[in-house]
Amino acid sequence: MRATTTTETDLQALMQARFDRTIAVAEAFFAREDERIAQACWAMARRFHRGGRLLACGNGGCATDAQHVAVEFVHPVIVGKRALPALALTNDSALISALSTGGSSGVAFARQFSVLAAPQDIAMGFSPDGHCPNVLEALWVAGSKGLLTLALVGADGGPMATAGFDFCFVVPDTDPFVVQETHETLYHVLWELVHVFFEHEGLLT
Amino acid sequence: MTGQEGSEYDRLFYPFLFAGGNASAEEVLAQVRHSTREKCRTVVALRRQTLEQYGDIMVAAATAMASAIRSGATLFAFGNGGSTTDAQDLVVDLMNPPLPDCRPVPALALTNDIAVVTAVANDVGFDNVFSRQLIAFAHPGDIAVGISTSGNSNNVLVAFEQAKKQGLLTVGLAGYDGGKMAHSRTVDFCITAPSADVPRIQEAQATAYHALLEAIFTLLRAEHTILTKEQHP
Repeated sequence: MRATTTTETDLQALMQARFDRTIAVAEAFFAREDERIAQACWAMARRFHRGGRLLACGNGGCATDAQHVAVEFVHPVIVGKRALPALALTNDSALISALSTGGSSGVAFARQFSVLAAPQDIAMGFSPDGHCPNVLEALWVAGSKGLLTLALVGADGGPMATAGFDFCFVVPDTDPFVVQETHETLYHVLWELVHVFFEHEGLLT
Repeated sequence: MTGQEGSEYDRLFYPFLFAGGNASAEEVLAQVRHSTREKCRTVVALRRQTLEQYGDIMVAAATAMASAIRSGATLFAFGNGGSTTDAQDLVVDLMNPPLPDCRPVPALALTNDIAVVTAVANDVGFDNVFSRQLIAFAHPGDIAVGISTSGNSNNVLVAFEQAKKQGLLTVGLAGYDGGKMAHSRTVDFCITAPSADVPRIQEAQATAYHALLEAIFTLLRAEHTILTKEQHP
């Protein structure tokens, strides 16, 4: 029975290990990806400048990331930043359940891109391992309509890493919490730094 | 944007915006790369500081939460804006744990039902949108988790007051100096990411509640093992 008892020291070690892991992953990720992040900010700024909107989707915890990135753009917490149109495709439980009847849950996001999206829009899809078929399908539909496509994935990126999206950011870790925390910094940075390009109108056309 | 306009934040983080003149794409991209790396350094430092200052409180909170869950608690989570999505994420992680060998834990986000949120906000006031739902749903021994980057969100503080009246265990996640949440007698455990940078606060809070979750699931798993052994010696 002693072997199964979890002590305070065990919990402290567990928390230290979790913090150490997410810190190491973030440091390596942002050191490696800074150039592509800057390019993605610029591409997104050009889309917004043309009247585009950000449409975001994901499943489970990733649905909350889609909603989080949307609220950052619509209601910037940094005073003076302009509101930009962004929508999570996960919000409307009536619509999602309508599109999921008969077990066809795979179409819920793809259908919204198909009906709602305009070519100048931006599609952002989240997946902890790149293996979410409905997010993959949604971004594929979005890309075929001319949207800018961004995938934020984890682990080895799965099929989403090789799907030919405009930007696929892979956080190479198998812990879904670590992947999500690094994604959160990534989409915060994308949101914060998209605004930098609005100060340079000449770069937006 | 030119000259002396813009916030202190802007001048701190985007100094080139105030340098005047037209920057080239290469210059702006270089600045954005630099800002990206700076923001990563900031959140890394904040995570380290949060664990250093609040590690003991997090262990105590996880222990109390696991104990309440073993006794049958439901966890209620709430917050505004980005903190809403963190509350919902916490609930998803409890109901559908993404880590191996974790049993689901009953949990409810108080921000999901837009009919209830708008009804209470319209009829009573926005300060009551979470407390009203606690009155309807919560039982003594349940858990309330409120998230606020400032620690001062009124509806979160009002919900904590109500939660305490009903005998709930209360856990707060805050930023800045913890705000009113840090000093409220209605908050049993307050974990603060000490920063004034809201995006970084949220990112450090995410690591904090993920660490809480892993600790809780570990405690629940250990207890389960003990019970199994006792039942089948």
